[in-house]
Amino acid sequence: MSRGPATAPADVIIVGSGAAGGMAAYSLTKAGLRCLMLEAGRDYDPQQEVNMLAPESDAPLRGSATPDKPFGYFDATVDGGWEVDGEPYTSTEGSGFRWWRPRMLGGRTNHWGRHVPRWGAYDFKPFSRDGLGVDWPIGYDDVAPYYDRVEKMIGVNGGPIGLENHPDSPADCLMPPPAPRVPELLLKATAESMGIPVRAAHTAVLTRDMPDPVAPRSACFNATPCSRGCTIGAMFQTTTSFLPMAKATGRLTVVTDAMVARVLTNQAGRATGVEYVDRKTGVRHRVSARAVVLAAGTGETTRLLLNSGEPGRGLANASGELGRNLTDSTGASFSAFIPGLADRPRYNEDGIGGQHVYIPFWLYQEQQRGELDFARGYHFEVWGRFGVPSPNVLPRVWGADLKKAVRSASGATIGLSLRGEMIPNKQTYCEIDPGVKDRFGIPVLRFAFRFSRHEVNQVAHGRRIAHALFERMNGRILDDPSLPPEKIMAAGGEIIHELGTARMGTDARTSVVDSYGRAWDVDNLVLMDGAIFASGAHKNPTLTILALALRASEQLAARFKSGAFA
Amino acid sequence: MTPSRRTTLQWMIAAAATPLARWMPPASAAEGASTPLLGPIADWPGAPPLPTTKGYGRDPTLMEPKVAWPLTLTRAQRTTIDLLGDMILPADDVSPGAGQLGVGAFIDEWISAPYPTQQGDRATVLGGLDWLDRQSIAQHRKAFAVIGEPMRGTMLDALCAAAPAGKLEMPVKFIDRLRHLFVLGFYTLPEGKKDMGYVGDQPTEGPYPGPSVDARTHLAALLAELKLGVRTT
Repeated sequence: MSRGPATAPADVIIVGSGAAGGMAAYSLTKAGLRCLMLEAGRDYDPQQEVNMLAPESDAPLRGSATPDKPFGYFDATVDGGWEVDGEPYTSTEGSGFRWWRPRMLGGRTNHWGRHVPRWGAYDFKPFSRDGLGVDWPIGYDDVAPYYDRVEKMIGVNGGPIGLENHPDSPADCLMPPPAPRVPELLLKATAESMGIPVRAAHTAVLTRDMPDPVAPRSACFNATPCSRGCTIGAMFQTTTSFLPMAKATGRLTVVTDAMVARVLTNQAGRATGVEYVDRKTGVRHRVSARAVVLAAGTGETTRLLLNSGEPGRGLANASGELGRNLTDSTGASFSAFIPGLADRPRYNEDGIGGQHVYIPFWLYQEQQRGELDFARGYHFEVWGRFGVPSPNVLPRVWGADLKKAVRSASGATIGLSLRGEMIPNKQTYCEIDPGVKDRFGIPVLRFAFRFSRHEVNQVAHGRRIAHALFERMNGRILDDPSLPPEKIMAAGGEIIHELGTARMGTDARTSVVDSYGRAWDVDNLVLMDGAIFASGAHKNPTLTILALALRASEQLAARFKSGAFA
Repeated sequence: MTPSRRTTLQWMIAAAATPLARWMPPASAAEGASTPLLGPIADWPGAPPLPTTKGYGRDPTLMEPKVAWPLTLTRAQRTTIDLLGDMILPADDVSPGAGQLGVGAFIDEWISAPYPTQQGDRATVLGGLDWLDRQSIAQHRKAFAVIGEPMRGTMLDALCAAAPAGKLEMPVKFIDRLRHLFVLGFYTLPEGKKDMGYVGDQPTEGPYPGPSVDARTHLAALLAELKLGVRTT
């Protein structure tokens, strides 16, 4: 055991460098606090390591997914994924949760989906609406000012949505969205003829330059997949924005390869620092600070707390809620070959990395009237553009006929990926595995995961809608409509929206933290990642993680100023 | 990811993961039945497993992509693969043939990779190459590479059967898989992208301009045909 490398004791230790940790470092250093950031993964510099323009044919196996690189060779995630060498996790029998862990500076922000919808009033008060789960201790109006600021800080393009529970941004928050592509325009015309809305997606990609003296970022140049990372800073990732900005204050120290094992506390029950293992040397270090921020990612933050404090009970767990209430978004994918799009005229369809439009949930009234057999919503993300046709649209022919078929089918498939809300249930949680430790000797997480009929019925409904849309386009549906919905749903964790294992609330008896992420039981311990979510909504969580981390950081800084940690 | 981040690689992943069973109608013919094009069907041979080797790992150098494993096709196997490539995706006035373009090297890279999908394909492809020779020798007393092109064509026709059954199931699965690997290998090359008329992969500053006039005209006609109005904005 030795003292860590930071010479001066820090005001705040931040565990994790992704969306929440990056926001904490940015906000707290700007407020004048000295921060020590500990990142379990390796150092990472997108300027040096992102191969933005190389063709896929330069990559082994043409960039196909492999167990080593599950999203393809050029995906920015390095040294991590569903599996991390020497760092296992387990599942209870018959459950099969998959846990994505990047092990790199900037975490998941280096390669994420960048779809950043605002949550609405219903999303923060779900229990009040349907009697399921719990309400958040805060409502949309509490978060809205932070959404405004975060959208401007990270750079979001998009347009108005104008639908129930899909609040619009004030006029100056968003950059203009990119023009829709042909398949997206076809989807829009089709969906709207059936009363289903299609709107510009909100995406964390700059469509205008964002000047900054330290970390200037450029508008997207409409080529290359964002998941590779972005050397020009067009896509939001903490490694090209918050982290260099925070470092420029002179108040941020970053230590990478620092695998935090537990939070240290004194007899008064306050956090005094953390213990971490140097991943390269295996040496254990202890570092101290006046406050500790956990932003390690939902699972890792909860694992840290369960491995701290009282053996078998964990730290900040008087409520017994630590590890419970785990959710992931539901996921299912549907696609169709659209003969009307075959042989269509070529043009540059690259645009920004992802979808330009999407289908937001639109059935709140029907749901309120009891006409749906599931609670909560879902949305569809849209894909399909020129490229190599997938095998299932090509006829069983060879020779000149095959070449002709490939040319014709390129760009003629439309896909819809469903993302829906999961309601917390008693069968879905994580806990410490009593028998398994990782290569650092840290006990690992064991997951239990099960969907309820709400999620199964929701996916079945989404499939009927997707197929109806495809049929209206005279499409040939490529997925099997006779499979039971359970068979087409992504496994727990596969959508990488795990949330809720240290949820916030108004009552210390039923929640782990207050609305500022402060642990009820440990006054100077603040949680800032997805672990604190009281519900999962169907909307991608990162914008809300950033908004809540900003809100929590500013409250923490204010408490420092008021002498709370003197 | 969230899978929206998967969109660009969607088709490549699909190429690797889509079960072949999807294209196969239920088997109906009796075990070992013959096809009029081939006569009696040779047995499906086994294939030797891959020698122990390593993948590129979880943290390869992305700026200098490298195939980390040795290629394993013999010279004769590679010759047959290239020959099949030029039959499956032949040269025409738009692009060269797949064999000519060296896509066989990609097939070799693929089946030599130590990952589960690729190992499965290895058994299919090596078994298939062996089977082609067995069938060809049984029928013509010569290896597949040296029978004439019309005879090879007849064999390929038979292996594109709509409802393969019995002993023909594995050989048809082999040609299905090989065809898909050739499509993936060929159309991800610059020559293949050009062949498809792919436009893109070019940094374009300023707002994304959206579809061209031609593309919008085509869409308007499609919307009219589908009675979806003609709105294209």
